[in-house]
Amino acid sequence: MGRLDLRRIFQYGLVLFVAVTLNFLLPRFMPGNPLELIAGVDVGLLTPEQRAQVVAEAGLDLPLWRQYFQYWGDLITGDFGFSYRSSRPIVDMIAERLPWTLLLTFASLALSAVIGVIAGAVSAWRRGRKLDLSFLSSMIALESLPSFWLGMLFVSILAVSMGIFPSFGAETPASSLTGWDRFQDIAIHAVLPVATLSIVSVPGIYMTMRYSMLEVLGEDFIRTARAKGAAESRVLFGHVARNAFAPVLTVLALRLGYAFGGTVVIETVFSYPGLGRLVFEAVGGRDYPVMQGAFLVFTIAVLIANLLADLLYPLVDPRTRTS
Amino acid sequence: MTVDARTGLLRKNNLPTILGGIGALLIGLLISIAVLAPWLAPYDASERVGTPFQPPSAEHPLGTNDVGQDLLSELIFGTRVSLTVGIVAAAVALLIGTTVGVLAGYYPKRLGSVLMRTVDVILILPFLPLLIVLAAYLGRSLTTTTLVIGSLIWAGSARIIRSQVLSLRTRDYVLASKSMGASDRWAILRHVLPRTALLATGEFVQATAGAILLEAALSFLGLGDPLQKSWGSILYWAQVRGAFLSPAWKWWVLPPGLMIMLASLGFALVAFAMEERINPRL
Repeated sequence: MGRLDLRRIFQYGLVLFVAVTLNFLLPRFMPGNPLELIAGVDVGLLTPEQRAQVVAEAGLDLPLWRQYFQYWGDLITGDFGFSYRSSRPIVDMIAERLPWTLLLTFASLALSAVIGVIAGAVSAWRRGRKLDLSFLSSMIALESLPSFWLGMLFVSILAVSMGIFPSFGAETPASSLTGWDRFQDIAIHAVLPVATLSIVSVPGIYMTMRYSMLEVLGEDFIRTARAKGAAESRVLFGHVARNAFAPVLTVLALRLGYAFGGTVVIETVFSYPGLGRLVFEAVGGRDYPVMQGAFLVFTIAVLIANLLADLLYPLVDPRTRTS
Repeated sequence: MTVDARTGLLRKNNLPTILGGIGALLIGLLISIAVLAPWLAPYDASERVGTPFQPPSAEHPLGTNDVGQDLLSELIFGTRVSLTVGIVAAAVALLIGTTVGVLAGYYPKRLGSVLMRTVDVILILPFLPLLIVLAAYLGRSLTTTTLVIGSLIWAGSARIIRSQVLSLRTRDYVLASKSMGASDRWAILRHVLPRTALLATGEFVQATAGAILLEAALSFLGLGDPLQKSWGSILYWAQVRGAFLSPAWKWWVLPPGLMIMLASLGFALVAFAMEERINPRL
């Protein structure tokens, strides 16, 4: 019962196509000199010969469609171009940053999923009661929190004033910790960024779970379970939550896109050396190819997450399971 | 009023009304601040009126920033920028979202499926990274920020409006007017569009809450208009100058973030109250 049908694959292909095409078109059609935007050189300083050479090297003298095919060819062979600022291959820069961002993203997504799903389930179960209403109100409030501001407050209060957590970075700088000690060092540095990211992504998951639960609660098999005298907790977790969880999985995959966006601001606040921070640095230095490379990697990661969610869906949703 | 699932009794839940009231109050307050900014603010927000990095004093209730501008005045004038970007971006999203939603719902076959494909693509793309790339290329100005946010946040609303239009188009009054020779255009403008108004307004208010947060995030990353500082821009400078690593966080970091939160919350609460009226889930 795979939901991995051709339509979905086509859709993900389309998303990738749109992202790559956008990356290709933006520097070529935006205000400003495309030569400057693509080759990263100050055109005014070049002699006409040098200029012609740069144009030829960047392939900008070719017809647009040939440039476009070349662009795809480069990407497929793992050539994302070079950074304007450091002149390093962008693929290398992304590769050393990506693990940190994945750590923050997955840790916070897992944490907020657990909290959001349980809170949503309990809230729907107590629909319209005091508990539900107070959960609901606090989630609306949480959703209005600017994540970076929350992060800044954590740094000001918990890191700087109280000194409980480190205020920046992913590891203690210039330390030669190894093994378990290094693991602990990394973990303590990740606490505040993960907490911030989790707090702001709980409400979305909670809302989805609560709504999905309310729909399931209205279905016949729940009435049957209750009628046959099953214990409340067994009905809640055994019947309702199990059936309500499947839509949440899809939402989790979509939320990964938001979570990645979240890392851009959060890694900026915590000077965390991940891909998000790289985007911030690239914005400050107008390093357009780096921004584009990061955007593409984020897109690919979201697509992989969606594919995984499609594959897992039948395992999670009891209704699509065949015995 | 809803029927309680357990007791089967009608019960009245006034939480949405209370929360909606609080939200409306917040919005009203913030709009008043925005409108009355020149009279409320002690100084011109762009003037250097004091020594840089001053803690709060009688002259400068929230101290001064790194170039000696009055932080309270920046906060008050920032209300204008943040609210304007939020509301106008949401209006842009409303326009695109309603158009796409109505067309996709009314012509569900070819046009509809092409439009909904587009919506799906936009929903999957990693949102903030795309927003950042676009904003960085297009340049740092209020218009850019507003248009970029507006042109990316409409997809969810379009999907919701489409599903309502899908059911509206087969209603009797639409069929009747068409059987009497009315054009599609007439049927859409006269019968379909007015009935999506309530839903679309709810979506608009919700979108404003989101757009305010997005504007803050973009400005915080240094992509805001350098000449028109919003709350997010104040926080950008607080970050760049390390204010949150010093006691200055209490007057430089805390207030702008609170304002962002209250503004977004105001719209979110009103949207919640509206949604509960349309589609009660309490």
